[in-house]
Amino acid sequence: MITTPEELASVLRPDDTLWVPCRTPAQRMMPQRQIIASHLQAGGTVVALGESRSDLWLPSIDFTETPTNWWWWRDRDADLGVSIVAPDHPLMRGMVKEDVTWHLHGWFMPPAGADVLATDAEGRAILYVDEVSTPGRMILSTLDPMFHHGSHFMPATTRFLDRFVPNLKAYLHA
Amino acid sequence: MSVIYLKSAYDTPSETVLEAAAKAVIEIVEQVDLTPERLLASRGLVTGNQLDQNAMFGMRETLAAFLDAGRRWFLNGHIVRPMLDGMEQYRPIQSPRRADFVLTPLNPHPIFAGIDLRQIETNKGVAGFYGRGCNPLPKGAVAVNGLGEAQVPVDWAWARPGGGRVFSHAGNDLAAMGQDWGLSPELTRRILDWAGGGACLDPWPSDPLRPTGSRPLEEPEIFAGAKSVPLRPGRIVAPSVGSYHIIRRCDHDAGRACERAST
Repeated sequence: MITTPEELASVLRPDDTLWVPCRTPAQRMMPQRQIIASHLQAGGTVVALGESRSDLWLPSIDFTETPTNWWWWRDRDADLGVSIVAPDHPLMRGMVKEDVTWHLHGWFMPPAGADVLATDAEGRAILYVDEVSTPGRMILSTLDPMFHHGSHFMPATTRFLDRFVPNLKAYLHA
Repeated sequence: MSVIYLKSAYDTPSETVLEAAAKAVIEIVEQVDLTPERLLASRGLVTGNQLDQNAMFGMRETLAAFLDAGRRWFLNGHIVRPMLDGMEQYRPIQSPRRADFVLTPLNPHPIFAGIDLRQIETNKGVAGFYGRGCNPLPKGAVAVNGLGEAQVPVDWAWARPGGGRVFSHAGNDLAAMGQDWGLSPELTRRILDWAGGGACLDPWPSDPLRPTGSRPLEEPEIFAGAKSVPLRPGRIVAPSVGSYHIIRRCDHDAGRACERAST
């Protein structure tokens, strides 16, 4: 269901998964913070992708923003260093390292007990699942696939979404 | 009356924009705070590439009235909703190569006067940041700059039949281009000035150069739009802010992860 941040109070139900696209401006999510917190307290699920400053409207997020190197790939031998550290996790099914590699905007320090799915070159979490901080579940990433899929020129972002979205649906309904 | 700089993204506007706001030349307005009354009371509008096109489509009558009164709208980004009659969906260049990103003037516009387009064509030597396609030319619009040999009209100016002018830059925000050469502040000033009624194509060209049109563009995509869906457990709910990339992907995933609510 496509709605707006401002309509969440009248739309969101505990058995829904709230999927917040990347580059959702944080100033439109911050007023919804309590509604989202209640959703998590009721056992709901939230997926928050990158460049949305989820640390400003979700609980228990320790996020560090980093400058983005848009040009690392110019060196043919360069490796951004992203790793899928939980390849058997249902959300990562069918993905390889290249499907989570385009550029980076930051990293997380997840809470103890969270499931880290992908990391950057320094081993810092860029995609993880938190089922310990609240009665609900948060799936968090600093990756921003939707924006660059929309830009029509980063095929890795399209591959990521084409795998992540069906994986997510299967995972939620498991 | 000032120009509205519509802030749709989270990032703080540039120093040049903040300075203009401090001088009351422009007014920075958050996307959610843009009302019809506020728009009609302004003399120009500048929007970024993360514009909430759902909200603007909902205000299309006001947008038309605003322009009919002789105002200006500088639009950055890819059109996905027909916010004005005559607007069409963004069309990317099909399988582009480096040569397709060479930026050349067709009908020179004052916003680019004295600027070497090669200095805004690339960012740290990489092309493609400026634009990779076009918002198709509305009838009567004049192509300002083109991409590649086909001169895909990435920039155009349009004197609407009903009144007012629209400038379309179909890429990342034009004001952010040319940073390697320190051009961003000057481009910003020119855009704000244009939106306030500054220099434009004058006289309006009666027989402007047209793009050769020889380069294939991607076909328009079909977006399902609103439809009735039954409520069911385990929905995925996406709070869309109506930007191009969110509309494009959420509509693509409609029926799988996102479903349009009935209105």
